[in-house]
This record gives sequence, structure tokens and C-alpha cells, in this order.
Amino acid sequence: MHPFSVLTLGIFVAGYITARWDLVTRLYELAIFAWEYGVVTRAAKGFCVLSLVFLVVFLPVQHLATLESNLHPRSPGSEDDGLMRVFWPTDLPRSDCKGVVVGWRNSALDVLVVAILEEVEPRRVESALKLGNLLRNAPHPVSRIYEQCGKSSISVLGVSNTPDTVEVDSSWIRATITPKQRTPSVTCARASSIQIILFERPLPGRMQYMSLNPIALALGDKHDGFRQDFADSTEEDDEKKERLKKENKQKLVEKLKQHSVIKRTPSPKERALPTIINQINWAWELEKLLQQNVSRIGTRPKRALSVSERVVESATTARDMILVWLWDMITIYVLPVIKKLFVLGLMAHRVVAEVLLRILEWRLRPRYAALKDISATAQQVEIRLQQFCYWPMQYVTLRMRKNDWASVTTSHPDYIRFYNSLWLVANDVIIGMAFGSYIIDNAGWVADEISRLLTTYTVEALQSSISWLMGWPAGLKLNTELAAFLGDLFLWVIEYWASCIETIRPILPRIVWIIGFSSFAGASMPLALFSDLLSILTIHIYSFYLASARIFHWQLNILTSLFHLFRGKKHNVLRNRIDSCDYGLDQLLVGTILFTVLFFLLPTVVVFYLNFAIARMTIILFKACFDTALSCLNHFPLFALMLRVKDPKRLPGGIRFELRDTQDFLSAPCNDNNPLRQHPSTSVISLQPIPLDFKSMFYQYFQMGNRITKHYLSPRVALCLLTGKFVPPLNRKNLYSLQYSMLPAKRAGVMEMWDAVNSLPASKRKVMPVQVPILANGRARFPSNYGGGRARSYG
Amino acid sequence: MLTTTPYLTTRRPSPTTAEFTLTTCPPLTPPLRAALFGVLCLRFIAVLSVIIGIYSAFFSPPSNPPPPVFPSGRYYDFDLNNFLLHILHLLYISAPGQWVATLATSVLPPYAVLGLSAVTAYIALFARIHTTESLLVLRGLGIQMSSSVGGGNFFRLGGGTYMKRTRFIPTEKIQDILINEAFKGFEVRYYLVIVVEGEEDVVVCFPRLLPRRKIAEKVWREARGCLYEKDGPVMGAGAGSQAAWRGGNEKGG
Repeated sequence: MHPFSVLTLGIFVAGYITARWDLVTRLYELAIFAWEYGVVTRAAKGFCVLSLVFLVVFLPVQHLATLESNLHPRSPGSEDDGLMRVFWPTDLPRSDCKGVVVGWRNSALDVLVVAILEEVEPRRVESALKLGNLLRNAPHPVSRIYEQCGKSSISVLGVSNTPDTVEVDSSWIRATITPKQRTPSVTCARASSIQIILFERPLPGRMQYMSLNPIALALGDKHDGFRQDFADSTEEDDEKKERLKKENKQKLVEKLKQHSVIKRTPSPKERALPTIINQINWAWELEKLLQQNVSRIGTRPKRALSVSERVVESATTARDMILVWLWDMITIYVLPVIKKLFVLGLMAHRVVAEVLLRILEWRLRPRYAALKDISATAQQVEIRLQQFCYWPMQYVTLRMRKNDWASVTTSHPDYIRFYNSLWLVANDVIIGMAFGSYIIDNAGWVADEISRLLTTYTVEALQSSISWLMGWPAGLKLNTELAAFLGDLFLWVIEYWASCIETIRPILPRIVWIIGFSSFAGASMPLALFSDLLSILTIHIYSFYLASARIFHWQLNILTSLFHLFRGKKHNVLRNRIDSCDYGLDQLLVGTILFTVLFFLLPTVVVFYLNFAIARMTIILFKACFDTALSCLNHFPLFALMLRVKDPKRLPGGIRFELRDTQDFLSAPCNDNNPLRQHPSTSVISLQPIPLDFKSMFYQYFQMGNRITKHYLSPRVALCLLTGKFVPPLNRKNLYSLQYSMLPAKRAGVMEMWDAVNSLPASKRKVMPVQVPILANGRARFPSNYGGGRARSYG
Repeated sequence: MLTTTPYLTTRRPSPTTAEFTLTTCPPLTPPLRAALFGVLCLRFIAVLSVIIGIYSAFFSPPSNPPPPVFPSGRYYDFDLNNFLLHILHLLYISAPGQWVATLATSVLPPYAVLGLSAVTAYIALFARIHTTESLLVLRGLGIQMSSSVGGGNFFRLGGGTYMKRTRFIPTEKIQDILINEAFKGFEVRYYLVIVVEGEEDVVVCFPRLLPRRKIAEKVWREARGCLYEKDGPVMGAGAGSQAAWRGGNEKGG
């Protein structure tokens, strides 16, 4: 204690006693009273007994416990295995100065270096970290750092470039690093072997980050459920089979789990990896902050401003003041009005979109198809409207990003998705304008071409092929009467259809003109319209296909059952098997005659059926082409591809390690020639991010292709075609999960959007030129955002 | 001569870190380097002849001497296109070039030229001689598998890999490492697998080379030791160095 304060205290006590002398006499009387009644002796006896118990019982027990715990350490792997893990950023500025290594201590021997603070005392750094001095002037709340990095404090990890003579804590590391040396040499008193893991810090300002799992480009969380509720009743055979297969596999996985004999509990070091990846993502911003504040605690070699620099500084300050004033005028008077108008426009748009979406989604009954399930155009309109509804919400989330640390990486996929869809729509509109102006200019020609194609391929070609089939095609002797009947029937319908087409021919240029005009809303619109036009104008082929398939299917069924009769068997429906049956003679006779007749009529029906089935398949192929073009226009990962080329670190697809050769590092000259000094066995590993591979970028497309091939190229479809069963078109919902993969399953309501748009926080001022200069050691220093940073402030 | 049966090399700078590399590339001796260089030259010649073949078959070049590199006679207006065309033409009118050109123009029809040159170019550019696969085991972090893809050892003459495909499995996710057996044709292959938690399929290590049982067992033993066991097999050296370091520290203090 300071002598002066001792003196003060003494004077105070003396004064108090003089003032209250009667209190002292009372105390004196109390002491005499206690002595006379034996209080003191009893207290002394008690004290003796207690110390005896302590000496005889507690001390030996404590000693035994220490011995035992030294024999069997409790936490395996974390404390005792002597493996030290140091994560070290390679792009830390390197210099010869003495420094303090600061970072995260995830467990006793597991550290991540964030910064090296130079020319400061370790003790002062420690106390400053405890008080939070080093994280002053943070642009955003500091608690967010701790929350994201999973630790409650930054700690001093050790010292760098400090001679061995300086005593340090045993868990601290000593790092030696010179400007020439890329990898530091690290030693620690408690570590027997060291892993140095070098990493390059991702720059949060450029939205680079690392992640253990590949970045998800699609919003793939809920569409499975979205599909399930429609699929449960109409679940098809192959889907059921697939599900069963999956369940079987799951059982196998469960069995595999039982194979491992010992279930290891992962040590804290092993569990720490996700946290460490987060800390790596934060390293850059945190280091900047620490370096900004380091002048608060230490004397760094620096110089005062020269006269010219002072002049420059005051000039910039004056200029910035004027700019700030102007900016304030704009933000206070002009901007709010524009913003309000924009928001109102947006909300009006949202309401209209809601009405349209309701119409498109309206179903007569829950099981019936809605408009968007039938028509490609309706679906295209729906996708665009959904996108328009989703953009404001996305924008709001992205704006929130600005009010947080740049190192928070959760919204980066959102950013990519948002700009991808914006860019795709812009592209779509640009292509659509070119396409649309072409169509409008040549509407007459296009309409002529379409009607010519229609008459040639859907009327004349069909007519000629039917008449070919009617007269013994390719030498096949068909049944003339049946062929003539069927052919006449179809020809009659085709003629009627041709007259229908004749009536719409005059208005075809107008339709084409409308389609061309619609393409100003994007090239996907005319594509969808053309796709719909194709299905409308070929509706007669569809109906022919249906009719002929039905006839063929019936005939085939009758033939099968008659064949069973011919063999004296029948199909038992109840048990789903073939039973033998006693038929009467007349039954057998009539059945056999009918079987023969139908069998000889079969080829005629088959050729007609094949003709229409091929036509139908061709149309499906065309529609598939249209749909592929549509999905490319709507969901091509253009932005992601561009990012992959421009900056692969923004699209992380995982991490990889690379074992470096440690030879050069061990043979690097040590600056002190202590012969006893040896490095613990050290392995140098570099940690690198892997960019997302192209396969997972186009994952959705692969999935869609898989689905289409599974649906149309399966043996089931071949069987359907052979037996004349109707080949069901692929459920639009299944096919277009790709289209919806970038949209949320449930769109936000109008009120939600209103709330979200209004909850946008006021943007922070971007220019903050006038900052209170930090006075460190009585000297003025640079405002911290004034150009130079570290490099400038060194003398 | 250029390849061997896959053999194992181990790098283990510390007891807790090990890299097992399995490669079909034999140790690089001067004759091998020369042979690899020869292969590289062959590839180069193949690509050149493809270019000459296409040039002669589809661009119908004149047979007179090439246009001058510097048409105006001044050295500063150097045009890269012109220069490349000049070189191409020089190659074309040389004797081997003429031979390729006759093959492409008079012997083969144009579509055959196109197909043949596509196949040749693909083989020359992308076919690889060696396969290298490795397993990196890091205690406390996990296991990483990598294999060389694409034109491995293309320019570096077997000295390293050109492009790698890697997969990292954190220790937390590793349920077990084991050796399994499978029938392949009429033989039984033993292979090293990693069982990953929450994944349907086990992950096979060295999927392309599928080493013999001896190698698989050795890798299995060392990988388990490196990943799990508290006193790894080479721990003695580590402890010794630790003691020495402590001594040094006390003396220094």
C-alpha cells in the first residue's frame, strides 16, 4: 500500500477513536468478561482439534488423490497426448520485431492464430483483452464475434521472435518468423509434436469464405415434402420400388453401424473443426480490428506527421466535410420520398401478383390439376410472379448483411441466388427483345411458315400415311375391310380438323404478333407460348393416339384371355393367378373361332397404333426440347459459373489439406545457436479451400435428366407401348422441381412483405471522415481509416 | 517399362501425421526420365500432326513457300496470327508434314480425318501413364483421400501430379476404418474402406489401384495408429525430443 494512504488511514482511525472513546471502553469490558467465563480457552481447544483433523485426514487424502489422478488422467486426447495444433495464417504481415501472438485457444493445445501484435508487453495485451480494450471502435457488436467463433474470449497464445531467455507460461507458444520465411517455426513447452496448419485467410470484403460442406446453390429444403402430399395417392410403381430400395439400404447402414466394436467419443479437438472454420472466416476482420487498437496499449515505433502530410490531411478533412453535408441534404429530403414511392409501387405490384397467382393456383378440387399444371405459359407466368414476390424478401435479407460483420457467411448463397435470378431475368429480357422484334417484323412470314408446317406435317403427312396403311403397306397383307374402316374414320376426323385449322389461319398472324409482343417479357414467354401452341394444334394426334391405343389394348386383353381359354385355363382374378378350368365344348369352339378372327385382325390394328404412337412420341420429344430450353433460360447457374471463373474462393466446395515437405523448414537457420534447442517433431500442413465442382453446380440438371430418362426410357414405358397402355406424361411437378428449386415453397404474404420492407434499418453512413483522433502516449496519430494502415505507420 | 505395379511410399514428419502414397510411377531414374520425355515428345508430335492434318484437309493450303513473317519488312509490326500461320505452313511443306497431308487429303475421307484427329488429340492430351492415389491421415482433423485426375504427370515427367481430386472426411464423421474383401472376376480383393457416419455407401480408399492385401494391411495399421492410438508407433522419438526441449528451456532460463 502506498505510504500516503497508510498515513491517511492512521489519522482517520486515531480521530475516530478519540471521538468515540466510550466504544473502546465497552470493547475492553467485553474482553475481560470473555476471559473470566473461559470463552478463549474453549475457542483455542476447538482450533486445536480442527487442525489435527486437517493434518491427519485431509492432507493425506489430498495427496493420495493427486497421485492417483496423475496415474490415470481423466481426459484422454486433449491434455496428455502432447499434440499441439497451431492454425497459422500465411498472409500475416511478417517482420523481425518482437511480438505477441493473439488468437483463439480452442482447447489447451489447440490454437488458432489471429494476429501478431508487435512491440507490446504480453501482460498488457492480456489485461487489455480481458477489459475488451483491443476490440474498441468495432463497427458492429462485439458479442457477435464470440457467438460466431464459439469461444468466450480471445487470448494471448504466445510470443513471437522473442529470445529463449524470456520466461513465458508453459502453454504459450514461441514462434520464430522472419520476413523471408514463409512458414513459422513454432515450439511449445508442453507439446511433444506439433501440427502447423497454414491457411490463407479468406477476404470477407470480397465475400470469400471457407466451409466444410459445398455451398448450396438451390434452396433445397422443403420441395420433397411439397411433392409428397400430392404423390401419396398416385405414387407410381417405380417410385415405390425406389423407396423400398432406399429403406433396405437404410437397414444395411444400421447393420454397418453395429459392426464397429468401439464407439469412440470424439475429443474436443476433433469436434472443434466447424468452429475453427468459422474462426478462419473471421480471422481477417478480427486482425484488422486488433491492429487498429494496438496503439492503445503499447508504444509502437512511429513518427509524427510531417508538414506536408498535415496539409494533405486537413485538406481531405475539409473536402469530406462538404461531401458529408451534401449527402446529408440528399438523404434527409430527397431519398425518403423516392423510397416511399418505390415501396408503394412494389406493394401494388405485389397485390396484383397475389391475385394472379391465386387464379393460376386455383383448383376445382384438391386433386384436380390447376392451370399452371396444364399449360407451360401459365407456369412460366407463375414462376416470374413468384420471383417478383421473392426478390424484395431476398433484398431485405441481403441488406441486413450490411448491418452485420462481413465475416458472417450465412447469407452468401442468398446473394448468389439473388443476383443469379436477376441476371437471368435480364438476359431473358434481352434475348426476348431481339427475338420479339424479329417475330413482330416478320409476323406474316412466321405465320405462313407455321401454317405450312402444320398442313404438311399434321394433316397431309398423316393423311398420306393413313392411306398408305389402307393399301397393303410394305407388302403386309392387312385385313382390307378393317383397314378401310379405321382409315376412313381417321381421315374423316383429320378432314374436319383441317377445316378447323383453315378457320384459324386468318388470325394466325395476329396470334404470332401477340406471341412476339409477349417476348418483351423475356424469351422464355414465347417459348412457353409456342410449346402450348404445339400442344393445342396437335390435339388431334393426341386423341388418335388415345383411341388407337385403347382399341389395341382391348384387343390384346381379349386375345390373352381367349388364349387361356384355348389352353383350358382361365385367369383367377381373386388370387391373381392362372387356374385350370373345365370349359364346355361350345364355349371352347366359339372361343377358339373368336381367337382366330381377332388374331388375324391384330396386325391391322397394330400398324395404325404404331403410326400414331410414333407421332405422339415425336411431339413429346419436341415439347421436351422446349422445356429444356425453358429451364435453361430460367435456371442456368450463370452467376455461379462466372464467380467460379472470377474468384473460386467465393464458391467453396469443401477443404483439403496438403502435407508440406518439412525439410526446408527444419534446416532453416535458427537465429540463436543453442545446441540443446531441438524442435519437437513438426508437420507442416496447408489448408486450402476447394472450389465447387461443375458437377454439383449442374446437380439440378442432372437430377432432371435422370428423372426424365427414368420415366421415358424405362422398361415399363416400353411395356406400355407394346401393350397399348397409355403412357402417362411425366408429372409436371416432378419435372419442374428444378424450376422451383430457387424459390421458397411458401411465398411470403403481402403483409409479411410490407413488414419486411418497412423494417429495413436506416443504412449506416458510408463516409466517416471525421474521427476523434486516438491519443496514445500523448501523440497524435493518423485517423485509422486514413489510407496507410500498418505499412504507413511504421517509421 | 514406364510403369510398375503400385507401390507404397510413406511420409511421416511427425507421429500424428502421415501420408501414404500409392503410385504406379517407378522411382525417377535418368533412363525413365528420358523415356517420359520421349512420350511427351510423341504426344507433341501427335498434336502437331493432327493440326497439320486438319489444316491440309479443310483449309486447302497452297503448296508454294509460306508468306513472309514481316510482310512490310519492318520488325516492329509483328502479327502473332501471321507468325503462327507462317510456322504452320513451314511445317506443312516439310517432308513429314507433306506425308501427313497426303494421308489426310488423298487416303482418308474428310469425316474420317475429323474422327481420327479427335481421337488422336484426346489421347495425346488427356491419356495418362501413371495413376497416383494417396491417403493423408491427420490426428484430430481427419482423413483425406486424393487421386490424380486428368493429364496427371503431363509436364512434370512423373515428378508430381498435375491435378488432384480430393475428399476430406473429418474424424468426427469416421465411424471405422476396416479391410473388406470382395470378389472381382475369379479373385478375391482386399480393400481398405472407411465407414462414414450418416452416409449410405462406405468410402473405398485407393479405388482405382486397389492394392494387394499386404499394402492395405500396412496402411490400415499405420492409419489407425496415427489417427487414434495415444502412443503412436513412433512416439518414442517424440517423447525424447520433448524431454530435450524441456532441458533446453530450463538451461535457457
